[in-house]
Amino acid sequence: MTNFVDYLLGGFSNGAVIALMALAIVLVWRSTRMVNFAQVGQAMFTTYVALTIQQSTGSWILALVVAMAAGLVLGIVVFFLVIRPVKNSDSTGAIIATFGVLIALQAGAGMIWGGDPQGFLTPVDNSGIEFAGRIWPISLYDVLVLVVTAALVIGLTLLFTKTNLGLSMRAAAFNPEVARLSGVRVNRMLITGWAIAGATGAVGGVLIAPVSTISPNSFDILLVFAFTAAVIGGLDSLIGAVTFGIGTGLVISLVSGYSDSGNAPIVALILLALNLLLKPDGVFGHHGARSV
Amino acid sequence: MKYVLPLTHPLLATENVSITLSGLQILEDVSIGVPEGTVTGLIGPNGAGKTTVFNIMSGFLTPDSGNVRFDGKKLKHIKTHHLTKLGISRTLQGVGLFASLTALENVMLGGSARVKSGIVADSLGMPWADHEQNKLRAKAMETLTEFGIADVADRYPSELPYPVQKRVAIARSLISDPKVLLLDEPAGGISAGDMAELGRMIKSWTPERTVLLVEHHMELVMDVCDLIWVLDAGKVIASGTPEEVRNNPAVLAAYLGDEGEGH
Repeated sequence: MTNFVDYLLGGFSNGAVIALMALAIVLVWRSTRMVNFAQVGQAMFTTYVALTIQQSTGSWILALVVAMAAGLVLGIVVFFLVIRPVKNSDSTGAIIATFGVLIALQAGAGMIWGGDPQGFLTPVDNSGIEFAGRIWPISLYDVLVLVVTAALVIGLTLLFTKTNLGLSMRAAAFNPEVARLSGVRVNRMLITGWAIAGATGAVGGVLIAPVSTISPNSFDILLVFAFTAAVIGGLDSLIGAVTFGIGTGLVISLVSGYSDSGNAPIVALILLALNLLLKPDGVFGHHGARSV
Repeated sequence: MKYVLPLTHPLLATENVSITLSGLQILEDVSIGVPEGTVTGLIGPNGAGKTTVFNIMSGFLTPDSGNVRFDGKKLKHIKTHHLTKLGISRTLQGVGLFASLTALENVMLGGSARVKSGIVADSLGMPWADHEQNKLRAKAMETLTEFGIADVADRYPSELPYPVQKRVAIARSLISDPKVLLLDEPAGGISAGDMAELGRMIKSWTPERTVLLVEHHMELVMDVCDLIWVLDAGKVIASGTPEEVRNNPAVLAAYLGDEGEGH
């Protein structure tokens, strides 16, 4: 039983990062109805930017803020690279184009920063907290990850539910033509969606880097987990992405704890396949919402 | 509200508009005008091109030749999202509500273009952005109250009876305080009693607002319109008062021909 609790606790912060990546995928899906497979590549690239900032200034906060800003910009750049040229064809072309962007970003990062894994310093202690006479599998840094993730999720929820921008973005996502008739600048909303997704993914990258090291391909596996969480959550749902992001983190931790960490991606893919078979709209997805 | 043909200064007009879609001539040299302060009807058999006229006026389609004039100005390259700022508001066939937004949010959206806070202030949750949004929320609530449906503010469209959804859609198009309302089959799918109520409502908007109405229910059209344009196969075949149009042999022929083809 102690093992079980320990494995669960150990999965939370990893799950939080998966949740952020899943959120980024959901944000892009909500704005343009497509999956951006370059999302983890963008996060990898902005994490290298953060690493450079951290190495030169020593400030983790500054590195995080610059990474978010870089994520915003990169989100907009990828939007124009991918969406604009294939705007008049079907979205399959655009989705394939996101793979192209992923490969280009990985190659680019390798050329700029080299292919060797690099360490990323944690801003706070990353060893297990000692409490009530034992060491728990959760560190101060894990707590920081959870706090930052929670703050971001709350911020995004407020943005979508309480602001005019959020209202316009939701409308633009569900029915662009009707939104335009209501005066919404739809293209601007779609770009904003990609930008916010870029910044969200950037936060995820900076948070995971200290525990995983960073190399041009180190986030690839994160794509599998985040995509699984986003799809099971319904692709449309922020709550779904967060719930199943954290859920995926816990499952990975249990699978790794009881068997071998190499089995985690297989389990994730089995979950994804089961979901597509049993509940293709996702657990939090509402099918009707797509037809107006 | 009185008008004289030919119209001298209509508030909204198409001038010699022609358009071909997928090789079919949908509209041919269509010139119609909507005098300020009137309810003007646009009728015709199925496939006559009525909705295409609306789609050109709202920037969904660009005519091959001819143009739209509003308030004396030629509108080139109509951008749909500018319409509400110009003072033109359109409802859609059916209801066109956002299923994932509440009734209140749907109505708020109609006024969202007037909110000045902008992307950055909204993202950062600036107090003035909150203030603007609260003003919009209050105005949307007021509009729902005017329509007698304040109690459904927090409900989603799928939970509401069809006539109530229709009211929400009309409330959304009115919150931007438009000069012109383009109503695309507002009476579709509602009962006789609701239709009489709708007729009274449309008439009550004039002369402050101007209405262009596309509608199949002739009793409603004849009841509320000051002026009627009749389209058939993409051409204007008649115009005039409801009385004149009702007795026009060309109009009768067009409608009988339509029924003869089994529509």
